[in-house]
Amino acid sequence: MRKKIRAGLFSSALALVAGACIAVTPGVLASSTAGAATQVPLNLANEQGMLWPCTFNPFIPSSAPYSVGVTYETLEFVNSLQSGKVTPWLATSSAWSNDNKTLTFTIRPGVKWSDGKPFSAADVVYTFNLLKKYPALDSNAVWSVLSHVKQSGANKVIFTFSTSAVPYFYYVAGQVPIVPQHLWSSIANPVTNPISHPVGTGGYLMSKCTPQNIQWTNNPHYWQAGKAVVKTVNMPAFLSNNTCNEYLATGQSQWGSQFIPNIQSYYVAKKPGNSYWFPPVANVSLFPNLTTAPLNDVAVRQAISYGINRPTVSKIGEYGYEPPASQTGIVAPTFKSWSSPAATAAFGASYNPTKAKSILKSDGYKLGSDGVFAKNGKKLAVTIITNGGYSDWVATVQVIAAELKKIGIAATVSPIASTNFYSDVYAGKFQLAYNVETGGPTPFYEMRQWMYSKNSAPIGTAAASNWERFNSPSVDKLLADYGATTSVAKQHTIVNKLQMVMIKQLPVIPVLEEVDWFQFNSKAFTGFPSASNPYAQPGLYNIPDWGYVLDNLKPVK
Amino acid sequence: MRFLVRRVGFLLVALWAALTVNFFIPRLMPGNPAQAMMAQFRGHVNPSALGALEAAFGVNTHQSLLSAYVSYVGNTFQGNFGISTSYFPLPVSSVIMRALPWSIGLVGLSTVLGFIIGTAIGAISAWRRGGLLDSALPPVFIIISAFPYFWVGLLSIWFFALTLNWFPLLGGYSETATPAWTWSFVGDVLIHAVLPAFTILITSIGGWILTMRNNMITVVAEDYVKMARAKGLKPRRILWHYAGRNALLPNLTGFAMSLGFVISGAILVEYVFNYPGLGFMLLQAVQSEDYPLMQSLFLLITVAVLFAIFLSDVATAILDPRTRSST
Repeated sequence: MRKKIRAGLFSSALALVAGACIAVTPGVLASSTAGAATQVPLNLANEQGMLWPCTFNPFIPSSAPYSVGVTYETLEFVNSLQSGKVTPWLATSSAWSNDNKTLTFTIRPGVKWSDGKPFSAADVVYTFNLLKKYPALDSNAVWSVLSHVKQSGANKVIFTFSTSAVPYFYYVAGQVPIVPQHLWSSIANPVTNPISHPVGTGGYLMSKCTPQNIQWTNNPHYWQAGKAVVKTVNMPAFLSNNTCNEYLATGQSQWGSQFIPNIQSYYVAKKPGNSYWFPPVANVSLFPNLTTAPLNDVAVRQAISYGINRPTVSKIGEYGYEPPASQTGIVAPTFKSWSSPAATAAFGASYNPTKAKSILKSDGYKLGSDGVFAKNGKKLAVTIITNGGYSDWVATVQVIAAELKKIGIAATVSPIASTNFYSDVYAGKFQLAYNVETGGPTPFYEMRQWMYSKNSAPIGTAAASNWERFNSPSVDKLLADYGATTSVAKQHTIVNKLQMVMIKQLPVIPVLEEVDWFQFNSKAFTGFPSASNPYAQPGLYNIPDWGYVLDNLKPVK
Repeated sequence: MRFLVRRVGFLLVALWAALTVNFFIPRLMPGNPAQAMMAQFRGHVNPSALGALEAAFGVNTHQSLLSAYVSYVGNTFQGNFGISTSYFPLPVSSVIMRALPWSIGLVGLSTVLGFIIGTAIGAISAWRRGGLLDSALPPVFIIISAFPYFWVGLLSIWFFALTLNWFPLLGGYSETATPAWTWSFVGDVLIHAVLPAFTILITSIGGWILTMRNNMITVVAEDYVKMARAKGLKPRRILWHYAGRNALLPNLTGFAMSLGFVISGAILVEYVFNYPGLGFMLLQAVQSEDYPLMQSLFLLITVAVLFAIFLSDVATAILDPRTRSST
């Protein structure tokens, strides 16, 4: 995720003005000086470029970040920063059985909805059947593998899958919010209902929403004693990144998930205690179109991968915020334990321009007098498309193109407006696309999106993932095998094999690591996740993570 | 009467054309609203959400273009503009109603004020050509009007909000305030409106001054003004009732046009000040390919401009009898 920086010239003008004025009057906006007895509100800096619609439907992706985790809870908390470590939430335990086709949850007793009614296993069954009835609500497509969901006894819910579906645990237990049957059963159309007053089991209740601000107050009857103790939480609506960054830098906000250029001088140096941590969660990669020349040639893909000096790209394109990625596809340090030493060694040094050139030469390319390789009279030229709305991506791709020119590949950068970019990527209308796929609690999730052939679609038809159109029955088999085992050792073996595919066939060329944008100041509240205690993803757009973090924050006495 | 019928006829034809163009143009854009929404999530949503969103927005329903057009026209006349996809699942009408008062209040008021003040300064400075007022105000305002108004906005934020700390930085009201008809909230709104209104005002006055002053200079040289002077009428009466009334006519059409554009808000000003008006909403609707919202906003702007022009025609007819009789 990155923050849009609209209209480069304009925003840099604003940054200039804003930067200058803060230098003149330090902390002029810091109005939130702590009163003696009252707790200061926790203000969040989360620019979404829109005014709040004040809808809280937890199943609609656009409103889910404002209700899932905060107001609605999931069965378990699955931590993507600790290889999917599970913490019980609305369920006390869970177990796979029947060849990993049956998943049984034991539902927590004594939990109450915020309107005082008791929460029960029936609510869980109701929620999942609701998703079955309305596919528009099933944004994790859990019913693509579920057969049925039934209650067993007073406190057990049994999920039956049509196939072994171990990775779906993350979605079923960790992503689907449980809603109250007694209220939702009377909603005529849950797809178009705005759910203006969400009632959940969570630690926070939405207490006031205007287009300019969402306010939450803590649930006084929350079932987890000692948690959710921040009294008031505000999330003002920001239309531009710079105004939001200012709000954060001047200390009005204690928790942000912003892209801030020059974070050291613009944010960290502005107020004592201003800190940041950007944990890597996925890869930002070059997706080569595998259906057309020249990128259907693995030698060209290898040359590209060896030809990019990733640390340079990271430094120039992303202020070093996004660390260099590995061709194995393993995001470090987050998933370091998954990295295959064999695959890493087999690939060798990730930056090796000499090797890149020799690969092209042995593939039949000849270096022309203009410094560009050519084969059969055809120059090796590629166009890289990227999202023109993200100025950092455009800068990054420009550096990549310069790197490729050094090894004799003529690369052109084509920044495209956000929506058109996505429709081109989905339809496979590109040579190379610089983009990011959603990560998950283990490297498997991203690799499955990259390489599972069923995710793809013919060129011209929209494919939500596997944009490069990779198709390998043996990889499909590996992915299916992973889905059938709960053994961590076996999962590691499979991911090791997938890494070998990544370095041998290069279906995707990871360049940088996508990070979670996270700034915080612990002066008024403590308990934020950190590198030494990565208990949840800290970005304010991660569901249910940010609500989970909110439950664990403590005011400073 | 015949004049009025012709104007109304023109109005209806223009409306129909606008309605039709408005329907087809957004559909020429690539992608669909579900893909646009996926783009907004910036890779933070399970890719399978695309299917769910397409189901929610009904994008793959294979409705023919003609039947979609017929139902669009029908729904428009019933005031049913559909459901906004970027503010899903809110109906478009309620989304627009949230932003409309802010734009009318801010942009409308500052446009009217800009017109009145600019016209008055233009008339007076033409009347006293070479005077103190004429040598000071018009050049200053014309220079200011050459600045892009978002830039003036940025400067005024820097100076008045951040350096002097007189006015709030952003928003239509304090973040934690609850909109209500209370004195404290109205005061809050007014103080938040000062900077954006000031920005629009000082950048728009220049244009009015220039046109009014030029018109006045021509009119003042007319025989009937000399005649009025010769009759010994008071200068003030000549200024406003003889010269001013006639010099105003061309300006009035411009004013009507700009009133129509009040509906579209002032995109950049609203963007710079985080102001919750229609201009920003329009920008956002385009970015997220929210067809229903986009169409309704464009329609609203078109209708507003058409009606404003119609009203200015009528006003011109009242002020200047010649436009009525010549057919």
